[in-house]
Amino acid sequence: MAMLENLHKGDRPLQALAGVMAAGLLILLGGLWYVQIVAGKKYAEEQVAQSFRTVRIPAVRGKILDREGRILAENRPAYHASVYLEALSPYFRQTYAILVSNEAARVRAQYQRNLSREERATLARAARYMVASNIVSRLGLLLGQPAELSPAAFHAHYDQRRALPLPAVMDLNSNQVARLLENTILPIGVDLEVQPARIYRHGSLAAHVLGYLRKDNSSFEGEEAFFNYRLPDYRGVIGIEGVFDAQLRGRAGVKSVLVNYLGYRQSENIWTPAEPGMNVVLTLDTELQRVAEKALEQAGRDTGQPTRGAVVVMDVQSGDLLVLASAPAYDPNDFLPSISPELMEQLNDPNLRPFINRATQERYPPGSIFKIVTALAALEAGVLDPREIYQCKGYAQVGDTRIDDTAPPGPYDFLRAFKLSSNDYFIHYGMRAGLDAILRVGQRLHLGERLELPTGQNDGGFFPTRAWINQRRARGIIWSDGDTANICIGQGYVAVTPVQMAVMTAAIANGGRVLQPRLVQRIEPMEITGLGENVVEYPPRLWGELGINPHHLELVREAMLADVEDPDATGRRAAVPGYRIGGKTGTAEVKQGRRLVDKITWFVAFGPYEQPRYAVVVMVESGASGGYTCAPVAAQIFKAIRDREQTAPLAMMPTP
Amino acid sequence: MKVPDSILNEKQPMVDWTLLGAVALLVLTGLAFIYSATLGSEALRSLPFYQQHHFKQAVWCALGAALGVLACAIPYARLLRYALLFYWGCILLLVLVLIPGIGTSHGWGAMRWIDFGPFQIQPSEFAKLGLIMALAHYLSRPIEELRQSRVFWSALGMMGLPFILIIREPDLGSALVLLPVTLAMLVVAGTPARYLIRLGLAGLLLVSLLLVDVLFAPPNWRLKLEDYQRRRLLVFFGLDYTRFAPPHATPAELQRLRLQQQNDEYNVRQALISVGSGGLTGKGWRQGAQIALGYLPRGVAHNDFIFSVIAEEKGFIGSALVVGLYGLVLACGLRMAALARDRLGKLLAVGIVVLLFSQVFINIGMNIRILPVTGVPLPLLSYGGSSVLCTLIGLGLLHNVYLHRRD
Repeated sequence: MAMLENLHKGDRPLQALAGVMAAGLLILLGGLWYVQIVAGKKYAEEQVAQSFRTVRIPAVRGKILDREGRILAENRPAYHASVYLEALSPYFRQTYAILVSNEAARVRAQYQRNLSREERATLARAARYMVASNIVSRLGLLLGQPAELSPAAFHAHYDQRRALPLPAVMDLNSNQVARLLENTILPIGVDLEVQPARIYRHGSLAAHVLGYLRKDNSSFEGEEAFFNYRLPDYRGVIGIEGVFDAQLRGRAGVKSVLVNYLGYRQSENIWTPAEPGMNVVLTLDTELQRVAEKALEQAGRDTGQPTRGAVVVMDVQSGDLLVLASAPAYDPNDFLPSISPELMEQLNDPNLRPFINRATQERYPPGSIFKIVTALAALEAGVLDPREIYQCKGYAQVGDTRIDDTAPPGPYDFLRAFKLSSNDYFIHYGMRAGLDAILRVGQRLHLGERLELPTGQNDGGFFPTRAWINQRRARGIIWSDGDTANICIGQGYVAVTPVQMAVMTAAIANGGRVLQPRLVQRIEPMEITGLGENVVEYPPRLWGELGINPHHLELVREAMLADVEDPDATGRRAAVPGYRIGGKTGTAEVKQGRRLVDKITWFVAFGPYEQPRYAVVVMVESGASGGYTCAPVAAQIFKAIRDREQTAPLAMMPTP
Repeated sequence: MKVPDSILNEKQPMVDWTLLGAVALLVLTGLAFIYSATLGSEALRSLPFYQQHHFKQAVWCALGAALGVLACAIPYARLLRYALLFYWGCILLLVLVLIPGIGTSHGWGAMRWIDFGPFQIQPSEFAKLGLIMALAHYLSRPIEELRQSRVFWSALGMMGLPFILIIREPDLGSALVLLPVTLAMLVVAGTPARYLIRLGLAGLLLVSLLLVDVLFAPPNWRLKLEDYQRRRLLVFFGLDYTRFAPPHATPAELQRLRLQQQNDEYNVRQALISVGSGGLTGKGWRQGAQIALGYLPRGVAHNDFIFSVIAEEKGFIGSALVVGLYGLVLACGLRMAALARDRLGKLLAVGIVVLLFSQVFINIGMNIRILPVTGVPLPLLSYGGSSVLCTLIGLGLLHNVYLHRRD
């Protein structure tokens, strides 16, 4: 540089000085180069990391619809009055200043010392709480609902979620929302927030099918795992809500909040919007479900106890489940936002067990309704001539086991034996047909096999196989004729679920096609635009063929018709004027040793007789008898079906 | 020093426009970024404009410029006859500032200011100038006398007195700046190398002993450093505070130390994030996120950490430009020292140049964490009346040496 040329003239100290200073400036430049250019990105990221908070925004949950598009579960807007803390922060400071000056004066006068750091921090906390609780109680006055802010809740929110609004009064009613919107002078920092909330408009209707939600804000698979904050979200626990949770839930979005060094919100924007969940369309028929649940509830009313039972209505042509009811039920709304401990205790009642879906999840002895299987086995084996007269003794003797009969002694042909449900008759012919003939029919009906209904509440019941019997023999437990005799009348080593019995009844009614029960028709996007939507269909599925002579099935159907229509039949209480129904009652005994501890009462039916379309299964625990307790429930359901078919015959056309 | 004839024969300009231009640019930059740095504080923004930092600073700058021009007016040789008077005046102020009631701490914990009602002055800033003038005057004696150890020790003593007084305030940074200034002036004056070597060795030994003592000695062997000074050193060396806890510290005390460490590291970390996040081109004037969101503490952003504001908002280009401007000022200063008519002028110029350089190096160095945090202002850029006033007076004196190079 020209201006430094004088330094070349031999002044060594000045030259050295110039060298030192040049080196110093170069060091600074080098340092700046390193910090700003080489490591600049790292520091820029650090800055973002310290000033941004990510918030998980749950997606709007998909709806659950019935076969007609009627809504079973949906979302309503829930309005919350929230307080934005960043708007309060000047008042925090103001109040703190007042508190500190008073307290400092007092402490100085009394102890001649200044306030310690901890004391100041305590005062700051107190000041913040004073301001916030004051705002919240004023908000309460405005809303006409006492509102209180607990210190613990406030401090926790302030410490951990300062960048988010503080929820003050949750779930306002429409009146309160109107008041807030009309009021131009709201308490400082108060604003209205809208969040979707799950609602089950029909209360406990089809509760077991729908399932329920539980609060769960955690990230799901394929989602960003780290968030600073999470807005309240729910996860389906069981039922359709649980099994189809992934589809219903949608995809949570990400919101970023810019915060200042005090952690207050400065601004926010949405990084990734939430994608709404898919709708699940069920095969259920809401109206029929309602009729069935009501009838079921009334079935046990003379016992003074809530009914414990189940109803299944199945379309015998498609396998669609039109009704899947279990009593007692819970109200899925009670779980939102969280269930109270008292209610939870009620729901955990060991006797009522409302969480159990009795239609699919619990196994019961079928009792006399199983005589349908025995009859088919005997007919197929060619050992039973329906017109042949068998003299019943009023009991059955097999080896040294004596099995009582509720049907009186006397001469019986097939029809009479079926409608009076003679144990002696069916044991006689069942034994003649042999165990294997019965097992074959049962296996074709997939008894003992777990049905995978998408409610997550499945049980396969129990049905013996030859392999199982041989295994037991290897352990020294011999299968006796008594065991076979018990199976013939649906007692002993056989246990079924109501939905399995619906599959059986449907197969009898439709001429031998064993159908997979279908509960979900399809999953579709919330908004249908018709442009290559990603709709998942679940078509009806044939499970197998019964492989029984149609004539024999016709015989059984006739017998079932007689069991409802004849005045002396056990199922006569199911009769519906103007609608012909075939049915079979059952009253299974639950024994502990030799003692009778409970009765499981059944009624299985199909209708209309001429062109069967519906299979109805009613099961009530601790009922009086199948005919007395369950048949009237079926009658109610068929009556509703009859009424609807008369008014709008086309609307009831089940999907083929 | 003998001035070459060629220079004397040329027609010399009266004013060094390069220096003037560079200084003016730095002053304006300072005002612009003090404005930017105080934007984040709502309390400040609500004040009337004449109470805001950038306006106050502008007033100080104008006053400084006027005094700087005045400092050019009287030939420095005549002015420096009163150097000792000025020096002792500064010493008096440094003593006064230590007396409670006269000195004030502004709530910062150190007695550094004397309150004059509407404004305060910081005697340590004036003492820097005072020492330079006194040393220039003292060391400009014939070179033979400098061989006497008496002169050498007196010169060190002249430095030692304000050094100790400033340390007492305490203001370690301002005191430390006196060391390179004195050293450079001794070198340029022509003090024999043996003294300087000895001094250098002694200084090195002292510094290493100090560091070893502060960082590694058992507690009761340690020098009585102010707590905050020790902490700054610990922060700089990245050491754990809890290692320096009393032997029987309770968990609560250890927790408090950890919290303290977090707080102390905070400023340094935030300054570094500010500088680093500026990248190449910066975020633009008044766009710095560290200021807007308050991560860079508002109490220091406009003074000790003004450079990190510039670096964040103007990036590497801006910060390199600032360093370049300082380089220009320093180069002008050195040229003036070289052109000076006599040893007095040369020493005066060297003292001022080294003072500027030391402050720039320490301040920017601490902003990019190559030096520990010490409260040294960045000349002409940092907010602070006394600092800007003294810097401008110093530059006036420097220019005085240039103006009167031919008298």
